[in-house]
Amino acid sequence: MLNLKHVLKPAVWAAALSAMISPALAEETILIAGWGAKSGPLRSFGVNSEAVLKAAVKEVNDSGGIMLADGTKANLEYIYFDSACNAEQAISVARKVASETRALIGIGPTCSGAAAAMFGVFQKTVGDDNDTGLQFPILTDTAVRNGLAKISQWTFRNTPNEPDMYDKLFAWVAKTYPDLKTIYGGTETDQGHSNGTYSRVIVQASKRYGFDWATGDIEGVTGDLGSGYTEVLANSSNWLMADTNFSVQARAFKKSEADIYIISSHPFTTCGMLKELKRRRAEPKLLIGLTSSSSAEVMKGCAEAAEGMVIPTSFAPITPAAEKVAMLANENGGDADLHSAAAWENVMIIKQVIESAGVENKPETLMADRRKIRDGLETLERTEGLIGQVQRVQDEGEALKPYVFVQAMGGKWSVIHDPRSIQ
Amino acid sequence: MAFYFGLLQTIGIHTLLGLSAYVLLLTGQLSLAQVGFFAIGAYVSGILTVIFEYHIVPGLFAGALAGGAFAFLVGFPALRVKGLMLVVATIAFSEIVRLFFFNLNWRVMVNGVEVGPDSTQGFREIRFYAANGWDTFDVVLFIWLFVIVVMAMLWWLDRVRAGATLRAVGADELAAQSSGVNIVAVKVTAMTVGGVIAGLAGGLYAHSATYVDHLTFSVLLATFAVAYPILGGLSSVFGTLIAVIFVQGILIEGMRFLGDWRNILFGLLIIVAMNFRPSGLLDGNVLSRIRRMIGHGKPDGGGRHA
Repeated sequence: MLNLKHVLKPAVWAAALSAMISPALAEETILIAGWGAKSGPLRSFGVNSEAVLKAAVKEVNDSGGIMLADGTKANLEYIYFDSACNAEQAISVARKVASETRALIGIGPTCSGAAAAMFGVFQKTVGDDNDTGLQFPILTDTAVRNGLAKISQWTFRNTPNEPDMYDKLFAWVAKTYPDLKTIYGGTETDQGHSNGTYSRVIVQASKRYGFDWATGDIEGVTGDLGSGYTEVLANSSNWLMADTNFSVQARAFKKSEADIYIISSHPFTTCGMLKELKRRRAEPKLLIGLTSSSSAEVMKGCAEAAEGMVIPTSFAPITPAAEKVAMLANENGGDADLHSAAAWENVMIIKQVIESAGVENKPETLMADRRKIRDGLETLERTEGLIGQVQRVQDEGEALKPYVFVQAMGGKWSVIHDPRSIQ
Repeated sequence: MAFYFGLLQTIGIHTLLGLSAYVLLLTGQLSLAQVGFFAIGAYVSGILTVIFEYHIVPGLFAGALAGGAFAFLVGFPALRVKGLMLVVATIAFSEIVRLFFFNLNWRVMVNGVEVGPDSTQGFREIRFYAANGWDTFDVVLFIWLFVIVVMAMLWWLDRVRAGATLRAVGADELAAQSSGVNIVAVKVTAMTVGGVIAGLAGGLYAHSATYVDHLTFSVLLATFAVAYPILGGLSSVFGTLIAVIFVQGILIEGMRFLGDWRNILFGLLIIVAMNFRPSGLLDGNVLSRIRRMIGHGKPDGGGRHA
């Protein structure tokens, strides 16, 4: 026969023990929302981000959850939406999350164009009662195009600073390879990130460090960011994201006889272009790629053709923390790269901000909690990144992340230069 | 409610885009130029409200007029061709427009901030609504005011001689011409009206999304524009609205929770819908039944049912 005393006794002890050990876990979880491209040509970006986000949320919960203002601890919970790479869908998800869920903050979206549109529907200046934009904090992990976060004071990014990365890269190339003098390149012109970074950042950085355009000087390019960018595009050999044939472009690259080829595109066309260059036996002395291509997709798709390609990246498994995230991402069906790994950092930043800002996580304090998180993000000066400390650029909502230079070697990305100690 | 109001905005804008193609489809013309007129309306109205700081109403009208003007100009050469050749010609026009905006760089300082179209980086911060204190419900009312006016006009058009002329040209061009209908005038007029509606929709889109770039105005959007009236049916102006609700409300938003399966089901459900309702979701039979239900239709067979 069941003895009630025997059942109750351990239960009472367990309850008492848990009350003594730590503040009890609150019943209500803290909800965060993520969204990105889980369909279309950039699907892998959303898959990778969600995989890392899932791992980060588990890590937080395994370590006891997040401390709320009243001293209780709450577990973290996430929801993830597919917003494709589409402005209307990104806006729609942002509105849904902000108005229909109790999410305290959002992480996303993937594409810069979608982010530029989505950020535009947020309140531009905090506290401006005449501005009816959304009042919901965002900490973006992927959309990397320069200067997006300043569109609204509610939007923040933890994405790398490409102008700084390529400046340091060309400084290093000039020093390490003094014999290399000429460059030539191309980009996928229909992608704002690839195109903008190539024509406004990369070519200018090369100019600053004395590299010459292989087919003759480009008018208007002075080395200043964005100088002569239309002429850069006109003098390059470009392609589109949906292209599958690169023979004309590869022929132009080979004909340029440049020492350095710049291929500024996402993994899919990067591989197409690299394979065509290899087929044509175009052999530059150095290949330089776009940050977004320092990913597992390139290694899976064209490791042999990419051999030797150098890319600056804000993520590489070079610290125990980064190694762990890379492993967890794989376990969750994704890959950690400079975009997706930021989702891990973002979750840890969110934990830190919630605990320091005194978030209550109650239905009646939802709007106040969101505001506290936004204000908390704004006051951050430094955050812990996976490969080092990340500096926050307060007035722009942006980050200055540490980075390394990786090179494709034998089917994997290997760190060939680590400028973190110099910064 | 912001999400639902946002969805209503999207449905309203896409309904206008679909109606711009509907007018042309009535005359039997399949045009993919609507997205080009949509882009022109978006950029013109955006430039006027952001760079020249106009109120949105004149901005929208200017965008609509610009869309109509280009449609009028395109109408003459494009309508010399028919069927698939017209599709190709109108795709070419839309691509010319897209590439023009792809290269358009017009950055000026307004109130200490650099604004305007920035070629491949797009045209950001078209924030008239939020910056002027319009909440999402105000925007819904504003957009749907235009949708209702345009639908009412097209509904009325279907009940007067002009509408009959449009349908006559669409049904049998040769017979209509034999009856004295000026085919070129009808087609160019339809193209122009479609251009005005698409330009208006584009202006509303730019201000709703706050950002436009060349990728927005892709062939995919042009395909959606003609798919709405075809899927909804050409028997009534309401067919386009129903198709937009089906696509935007159910297939895109309603199935978002399905994750990766959403896109597979998206195509599948459209195929199923077109198979079960080849003349559109709101075809002539459904319309007759609806009319009978509300007591406005003439009884079939000329007699009262027992």
